[in-house]
Amino acid sequence: MTPLLRREFLRQAGLSAAVLPFISGLPSLALAAPARPRQRLIVVFSPNGTIPPAFWPDQVGRDFQLKEILSPLTPYRDRLLTLQGLSNKVRGDGDGHMRGMSCLLTGIELLPGNIMGGSGVPAGWASGISIDQEIKTFFQSQASTRTRFGSLEFGVGVQDRADPWTRMSYAGSGQPVAPISDPYQMHAKLYGQMKDRENLRSVLDPLKADLAKVRSIISAEDRRTLEQHEVLVRQLEREITQGPGQTLRVTPPDLERGIADQNDNVPRLSRMQIDLLVNSFVNDMARVATLQYTKSVGGARMNWLDITDGHHGLSHEPDTDEAAQKKLIKINTWFAGEVRYLADKLAATPEPGGEGTSMLDHTLIVWTNELGKGNSHTLDNIPFVLLGGGFGFEMGRALKFDKVPHNRLHLALAHGAGHRLETFGKRDLCSGGPLALS
Amino acid sequence: MPRIPSFLLLAAAPLTGAALLGLAACTLEPTAKITSGEHLYRQKCADCHGARGEGVADKYKESLVGDWSLPRLARYIEKNMPDDHPGTLAPRESEAVAAYVFETFYSPAAQARLHPARVELAHLTNRQYAVTVADLIRSLAPPTAEEGPSDAPPGLTATYFSVAQRGRFDPAKVTHRGTAAAVDFVFPENGELRARLALPPLDRPPTPNSREPAGFSAQWRGTVFADETGDHEFIIRTPNSVRVWINAEPDLRSGSEPTLDINVSTPKDPDHRVTLRLLGGRAYPIAIDYWALPEKTGSPVVPAIALRWKPPHGSERPIPTRNLSGGQATPTFVVSTRFPADDSSQGYERSISVSKAWDEATTSAAFEIVNHVIKRLDRLAGIRPNDPARAQKLAAFAEKFAGAAFRRPLTPEETQRNVTDLLRDAPDAETGVRRVMLLALKSPHFIYTELPARESDATRTATRLALALWDSAPDAELARAATTGRLRTREEVSAQAARLLSDPRARAKVREFFQHWLQLRYLEDLGKDTQLFPDFTPAIIDDLRASLGVFVDTAVWSERSDFRELLRADYLFANARLAKFYGLPAPTGVATPDEFARITAPAGQRSGVLTHPYLLAALSYKATSSPIHRGVFLTRSIVGRALKPPPEAQAFDETSFEHGMTMREKVTKLTRSENCQGCHAVINPLGFSLENFDAVGRYRTEDAGRAIDAASDYADDDHASVRLAGARDVAEFAIASEHANRAFIEQLFHHLIKQSPRAYGPDTLARLRDSFIASGYNLRSLMADIATLAALPGTAPTTLAVTSPPHSP
Repeated sequence: MTPLLRREFLRQAGLSAAVLPFISGLPSLALAAPARPRQRLIVVFSPNGTIPPAFWPDQVGRDFQLKEILSPLTPYRDRLLTLQGLSNKVRGDGDGHMRGMSCLLTGIELLPGNIMGGSGVPAGWASGISIDQEIKTFFQSQASTRTRFGSLEFGVGVQDRADPWTRMSYAGSGQPVAPISDPYQMHAKLYGQMKDRENLRSVLDPLKADLAKVRSIISAEDRRTLEQHEVLVRQLEREITQGPGQTLRVTPPDLERGIADQNDNVPRLSRMQIDLLVNSFVNDMARVATLQYTKSVGGARMNWLDITDGHHGLSHEPDTDEAAQKKLIKINTWFAGEVRYLADKLAATPEPGGEGTSMLDHTLIVWTNELGKGNSHTLDNIPFVLLGGGFGFEMGRALKFDKVPHNRLHLALAHGAGHRLETFGKRDLCSGGPLALS
Repeated sequence: MPRIPSFLLLAAAPLTGAALLGLAACTLEPTAKITSGEHLYRQKCADCHGARGEGVADKYKESLVGDWSLPRLARYIEKNMPDDHPGTLAPRESEAVAAYVFETFYSPAAQARLHPARVELAHLTNRQYAVTVADLIRSLAPPTAEEGPSDAPPGLTATYFSVAQRGRFDPAKVTHRGTAAAVDFVFPENGELRARLALPPLDRPPTPNSREPAGFSAQWRGTVFADETGDHEFIIRTPNSVRVWINAEPDLRSGSEPTLDINVSTPKDPDHRVTLRLLGGRAYPIAIDYWALPEKTGSPVVPAIALRWKPPHGSERPIPTRNLSGGQATPTFVVSTRFPADDSSQGYERSISVSKAWDEATTSAAFEIVNHVIKRLDRLAGIRPNDPARAQKLAAFAEKFAGAAFRRPLTPEETQRNVTDLLRDAPDAETGVRRVMLLALKSPHFIYTELPARESDATRTATRLALALWDSAPDAELARAATTGRLRTREEVSAQAARLLSDPRARAKVREFFQHWLQLRYLEDLGKDTQLFPDFTPAIIDDLRASLGVFVDTAVWSERSDFRELLRADYLFANARLAKFYGLPAPTGVATPDEFARITAPAGQRSGVLTHPYLLAALSYKATSSPIHRGVFLTRSIVGRALKPPPEAQAFDETSFEHGMTMREKVTKLTRSENCQGCHAVINPLGFSLENFDAVGRYRTEDAGRAIDAASDYADDDHASVRLAGARDVAEFAIASEHANRAFIEQLFHHLIKQSPRAYGPDTLARLRDSFIASGYNLRSLMADIATLAALPGTAPTTLAVTSPPHSP
């Protein structure tokens, strides 16, 4: 946030800049059981399409078998929903990857722009808000669902550049939301203010000693000013020791130090980010999150899987290249393993005030991808796997649709969150209304 | 209709509305007269004015304080007082009341006696805080770039490349190098510009699935000079991609991020904006990386880029070439936390009170500063990757920071408590450094400026000197002079003052003084009736403000540094646009159309700041001149007399006058009542002296079809009549008037020292004025004298031989 925006924000929030660090949104221990069960949404993204035969269950309905890529999620089979047959039908400017990525959560065309892809017409940012941000805004509009951040955007190995291939979240037309790839930066965003408060508290005693010393050497006429100053410091002390929101439900995770944002650290970065994500949810800092692995056309080299080729390059190999297919299955299975880790953490975390339920019962994970299949660049059969609870969907099913616009899934997500939108994204692609998933 | 608050319209009464008539016959001897005056005052005046002239709510709440002479006060009382029965006092009675009032509380001497001045405990003003912090951060590490004025011509250095690049720009692909007077380019496909810069056509599409670069790119580098302190909005317009660093290093290792990072543009909305707070009087690094990706032939989008800004008090426009240079500068840390406004109740900004909002701001600013430093900690502390001495270096850095904040070395006790203990108790070294910095920035030793010396007197002298002339902390050389015993005598202090005055920081501070003196912070709306003045555009207004700045800078920092030049110069600084508008000869010898040159006005027309069109236009109505506004300005700033708010508000209503009246006639009619004349007897003659200038400051000889009469008889401080025929006469009067000189010196003293001159001795102003006159009205000598006197109280001012620094306006 630029200084000006920050000031503007503080002004609108009616808070002084100094008080904010101590109060804003740090949840109190007394997080009462909510009137209505808490709901959370996590969108997980992995790039470059999947290998359909190793991904989609052959069966439809409740009786289905998980294929190799989804096998890490076997313990959650009854809490899964696989949605085959959803299509990203948004057309217009930009190549398949760009539209795959920037229309994935927005369901609306890209603006004209200066970014030229491998083919097609150059394009710019998406021209509308993404569903995660739409639901965040909805949650933030009501006191009962409002949190300090509303949403958090995590990245893992996202390149440090901004274009339609690297952004899926949009706060509005032409307003991409950048994911934070550096766990230390995310940690500072989540907990820096608490550290500030601790640091301030630790200097109050010597500060009072400095003031007392100065008071003793200045003239009687000036002493009044100093005494007023001392009163202010005592007030500050009371505010930071007795003010609201002093305690977190859980302490911040201790991050391993010095993990650089590099290709080979992706597995460790992934776990650090997931730990931070779940931790932030327990402390109720946000109800919506995205977790973006690399980017569309992401070329991570998964040396930790003994795969030395870049992911994107591999994804272009034909179906007949068995070696490449094997590697791609391995890569996608690894992503499923990270989703599993996330689900495990949520399942192992009791829902605060939730009467014996787990956090996973109140959280829906949506794992998706910008392409149906890497080598064809198809925007049909976009991988959508839903896991968890909270949105009232009937889980434990494999569903198949026939090229249904994915906008209708977004409508179902909005409705599941209690936000009864008529349309989302491109209006023409919403006919039929929300997908019936419950 | 008037756009100025109505309370100003009838300017203010120099005095109080009290009354007197003084008269000649002094039959009583002074003491007896005062006694009888006291008796009369209690009987007839105290009900409304209070027992000691302090004022009474709901009656006359202003206190009876002012600078009228005794005879004038007496005359006013006789004519106007008591308010309910004016004219009932005998001349002798009025005279007695006046003498009592004058001697007991009214006169400056009486006020000085009632309220003895002292040097008050003060904390850093907002400007002092910002400048001190900027210099503190800078002092922590060697500058990353060569500083100082560059010999490069105005404009940014430009380099063009034959391929679209970002991040690393390959020198092998350079097609052209040059200087750009402005960043404002359109690159049509077959245009002359593309040919001249040897840029390739755009239609080399990349081979499928490859990142083979095509298109073209460019880099612009240099500095941008901020004239004024405040928020500057920068606007980059391009349908292509651009990365911009302003007041930041274009180097990711430095810890600074791009100010604007625009990879994706949308032709429909090509403006990218960012607002930065900058301190005036400094140059800031600016770097622009631009790349145009390949497009298809015939694409409707033409590659282009333009850089504009909207500075404080200005309109959005291309950054003038004079503000751009191809030189280098190190970024300046500018604190963005907003502090509550400084106390201006005494007519100058000072900081003598503390409040909750202020304390919160110091906390918020401290976090902001600490976070800035921590981001660059290893570089600032000289720590190498995997440095085995990291902990020691951090501890040394922490102590260095605390000493820099305290503007002196720490005592052993302070080192223990404010550094060592905090480092020891912190969970890790970095947190320890954070806490040391946080405490230093919250400590009274940083925040207060006038604490009794903890160290030597010389250290305190150095601190005062640096605050007086820079609003900052002493630099290394000044601190060294203090610690090595070379800052004890008046001569040594004066020599340091002269050195400090040749630094750009002194210029920046002095520039703000003149903005204050000329009330430029409050004069903003110069917009005029567009029917009458269609060519008086925002661009002209921006040029005028710059013209006034260049004039003042040039006069103050020229070799003679002659105050009189400010009041009676017969020339203006103008660029081509201004010269045309004001009918002056076109500037010669300038490299670019927006560059200013000195142009002499036709004989007798102009007289320094008094007739600068920026002020004349600001002190006018939308369609006509305003002798009242101009007169109030001359009264307060130029001849240095106090005015109080008018006793009755009265709007200047154009429609209430008969057709064909001149502005002078209208004002005369409006202010003719005795009640108004208390002040307007002073204001009007001064205001009328500028009637030769219309609402936009152009010279004229007629108003309402009749010849202008700019002459009046003006009653000076001693009630003697002076004939003022025009602006030049006002200037000469102010130059010769001891009262006006002192008033100017007092304002300058307030601005530099933030304390009352009387706190440094009752005759401070008189002594400063004597040396000012003796130096030939040399402003730099005066500033050095003021700073020296405040840094070494008790020493007599001397006229200093200040050598002229090299200067470039």
